[in-house]
Amino acid sequence: MATGMPVRERLALTGRPPRRAASRKAADRRFGYLLVAPTVILLLAVTAYPLIANLWNSFHFDNLSYGSLPHKFVGGQNYTNLVSSRSGWVAALERTLVFTAVTIAFDVVVGLALALMMHRKFRGRGLLRASILIPWAVPTVVSAMLWKTMFDPRAGFVDYFLGAIHPAWSSLTWLNASVWRSWAAIFVADSWKNIPFVAIILLAGLQVIPHEVYEAARIDGASAWQTFRRVTLPMLKPALAVALIFRTLQALLVFDVIYIMTGGGPGTSTETLSFLNYQTFIIKTDFGAGGAISMLLVVIALVISAGYVRFLRPQT
Amino acid sequence: MTILEGRQPLAIRTIRRRRDRRKAVRGALFYLAVGVVVLVALFPFYWILRTSLESNSQVAAGVGGGNGIIPSHLSFSAYPNVFSQQHFLAPLVNSLIVALGTTVVTIIVGSLAGYALARLQIRGAGAILGFILLAGFFPVLAMIGPLYLLLDDLHILDNIYPLIIVYLVYTLPLTTWLLKNFFQQIPAELEEAALMDGATRLQTLRRVVIPVAIPAVFTAAILSFILAWNDFAFAISFLRTTGHFTAPLAIVTFGESQFQVFYNLIDAAVVIVSIPIALLVLFAQRRIVSGLTAGSFR
Amino acid sequence: MAWPYRSKVFAVAAVGAVMGLTAAGCSSSGPGKPVSATAKQTIVFAESGLGPEGAQTQKAIDAFEKANPNIKVNTDVLSSDSTTYLSQLEQSFTAGSATPDVFESDVTYPAKFAQAGWALPLTKFHPVMGQYFALGAAAGTFNGTAYAIPWFDNPEGLFYRTDLIKTPPTSPAQVVSDAEAAMKADHSLKEGLAFEAAKYEGAITAFLTVDSAFGGKLTPSNVDTPGNVAALNWLHNAVYVSHIAPTAVTGWQEGQVEQEFVAGHAAFAIDYPFVESLATAAPVKGHVGYIPFPAGPGGTPAAALGGEMLAINAKSAHAAAAWKLIQYLTSAPVETVRAEVTGDPPSLPSAYTSALYAKAPYFQNVKTLNNFAAPRPVNPNYLNVSADLQTLFSSVYASPSSSAAAQALKAGTSTISHDASATPGS
Repeated sequence: MATGMPVRERLALTGRPPRRAASRKAADRRFGYLLVAPTVILLLAVTAYPLIANLWNSFHFDNLSYGSLPHKFVGGQNYTNLVSSRSGWVAALERTLVFTAVTIAFDVVVGLALALMMHRKFRGRGLLRASILIPWAVPTVVSAMLWKTMFDPRAGFVDYFLGAIHPAWSSLTWLNASVWRSWAAIFVADSWKNIPFVAIILLAGLQVIPHEVYEAARIDGASAWQTFRRVTLPMLKPALAVALIFRTLQALLVFDVIYIMTGGGPGTSTETLSFLNYQTFIIKTDFGAGGAISMLLVVIALVISAGYVRFLRPQT
Repeated sequence: MTILEGRQPLAIRTIRRRRDRRKAVRGALFYLAVGVVVLVALFPFYWILRTSLESNSQVAAGVGGGNGIIPSHLSFSAYPNVFSQQHFLAPLVNSLIVALGTTVVTIIVGSLAGYALARLQIRGAGAILGFILLAGFFPVLAMIGPLYLLLDDLHILDNIYPLIIVYLVYTLPLTTWLLKNFFQQIPAELEEAALMDGATRLQTLRRVVIPVAIPAVFTAAILSFILAWNDFAFAISFLRTTGHFTAPLAIVTFGESQFQVFYNLIDAAVVIVSIPIALLVLFAQRRIVSGLTAGSFR
Repeated sequence: MAWPYRSKVFAVAAVGAVMGLTAAGCSSSGPGKPVSATAKQTIVFAESGLGPEGAQTQKAIDAFEKANPNIKVNTDVLSSDSTTYLSQLEQSFTAGSATPDVFESDVTYPAKFAQAGWALPLTKFHPVMGQYFALGAAAGTFNGTAYAIPWFDNPEGLFYRTDLIKTPPTSPAQVVSDAEAAMKADHSLKEGLAFEAAKYEGAITAFLTVDSAFGGKLTPSNVDTPGNVAALNWLHNAVYVSHIAPTAVTGWQEGQVEQEFVAGHAAFAIDYPFVESLATAAPVKGHVGYIPFPAGPGGTPAAALGGEMLAINAKSAHAAAAWKLIQYLTSAPVETVRAEVTGDPPSLPSAYTSALYAKAPYFQNVKTLNNFAAPRPVNPNYLNVSADLQTLFSSVYASPSSSAAAQALKAGTSTISHDASATPGS
């Protein structure tokens, strides 16, 4: 008897009285709801509740800075303000999208190379895997502070090594002194921390490709490149999709590394959507405008993750 | 014939030798690439360790001269100072409380849900799983506003305990999925037998399923701990006084004072915060890898 | 119409249950009957003191209690981070709490407290504002009414190395030429001028430290004035034209500036008085000069005001006793002792005594600076104005363009005046 066979069919085979089975199934189901309830309620409390509150707030005036002024209805004003040039939301959206596109393209390519590397059997594989995992596992605060130190002209190694190549590069200021250098530093810190995740997911994808497929390709006389293009990549698709979507969302919502490394500067040139969200809520204590930013952020994130869920729909 | 016979092995030998050489070169290149990867991943850690072992005056002098890749002398003052001057112990303890608290709640709640979703054939299981997955993707920064107001109204802003609940958004989706997948793989016969013997579902879960699931639970616990330990966004939004900070938040605010804060001090704290995580990775890398992949794609 | 989640009942019932946490009892109480200063009473004092400062405050309070046996003072020590401290106070005030009765306030906040009706107008106590440094007193005055009394005035000014620069510069141009000369003469210098230009509050005080030397004034309704442009240009040119300051200033806060100066890397530094007390080793020991930033054409010597003030909760029933405490803490002898112990510069010129100078001679410089220290804009929306200014300065310091300052001020002025004058709910 197959272990994975549904209970119902198994019961039919063994011919146990159906009524007892049915009553147990009903009891099971009730018990099941009880077991699932805490998880669902807790997750609703931390996601659905903020969502509804944000939706409400986004149509109202609600700013703690003005004490206890009434939270009156303002229609779509919070949303129209966002799209106006003064808010900087549109610029932040553009920046966030560009950062996301560049980051995921780079991370997936490098992550795939690392996955292929870890997939080979060789001495020292454990060391390689641990080295790759550690940057992923440490807090973003650690990776951001660490790279902030590295990019510091006095304390870091970046300028120290660059200075060895060219004397003029020995005291470059990276953070907040130039827009592109600030982004470069953020990009390095973010990729260093997140590529490992992509690599691990892709490694798992590589490991489920049956060995016979490679054998067959080899017998057909395929070159290494052909095997990679025609066999590995297509069979890696599910893992690639997972890695892509996880990373897309992470990059889209990037906050910690930017807050720590540049504080959104120089000027506003590294402010992303999440950064704007934080600033509006916590610094400006404007929960109306913050609610509107949040709703739009949720919509963008949901559209992407809905695609992911659809792709991964469980076979229940 | 004899000549030909004599030449053939020679030709094969040269081809083989050439192939061997190519193989050796390729192998060397491969190891070189591995070396580069390991270096890029770990060298920054070496550098913070190095900076944390410098004296204040060495840090102030900057990199160069005797303060190159290997500093001319070591100073351990930053480590005691990070506790005596920056009061880093309280944030560390806070982080530990919150991360462990989150892990415990996650494991209890998540394993129950995972079991129900794997075994108990509840209606709408697909929708529930979909919701749990979506919750894991919810933009964290979009949640902080309403939660801030709520915590404010409840007078539990600037308190670490609500974080235990809030952090579930990081840990519960992954854990529930991971354990659900694991429970599905446990042969149903084990439970059937116990149920036949008249055990209730809860007893079966406790005596039969959980013992088998210990490895997966352990994996979920490690991942939950890491995710909770690593948070910054919620901590900076909800915590206000330095005594209530978590360790990552404390590190970031070190520099925000008029007093002397050198990189050696910050980096000593960075090293301290990284150590538990690095140890977890070293001892449980297999579990972490399997947990990450099982939780996200199957 | 109010969204129900703001109601505590709903919140506790619906989500508090889910969160498994019970709300702490709400402690807010409405305004009570005013209690006379001579009655037996307990008042609450909120402060952000840490370490030696907190200890000194406690000492002063003990002495106050001894002198006024009918008044007991409980201290609430809140965050030492000023923004955090503000939000903690806001929580009490928005809840309508009658405590704290007296509170410490950063020099930039009284306008906000006044506008919101949280701080008590001090008119009825007839405070003698003329006895304080005039610019410090101005920071506590909103729409012509005094709401806060200066406790200590921390002026930001220009430090210079007396061993490298024999006579203090008398014009901004001379600061540049002196810095260039010093860098040429002493190669152990890494820069001529260190100042804080990171994207944070300090960038605003650094700017104010030079601003009035060029005839500038930070008025949120219009920041695009020739004086402000000239001042910001001078700082910008220090980085990009004369190169007396490195681009690294964009990452520096006052702590790093102090490190640069104290380590002997900088000929000039824009910073607060605490630097002087830390210059205890070679090569800077005994070679520290501290002056207002020298005036350029059409300007006056310049400095920026930091520091703390004291104010009374508008809902307090113990205003009379609170006022007594404020008077005590801001009396000359108490301020002098505090300066000796903690280095906090007195807000009263009369507290700068020869005894103080004997202990810490640099207070002579501090006193001079306090006559010039310009407060930041007195505006109820100062936090928003500050965020705008931080962004503006940060973008200027990252741009090598010679017109960066002029363009940024021109572009930013409408946003700043909008944020400064924003009246909500209209």
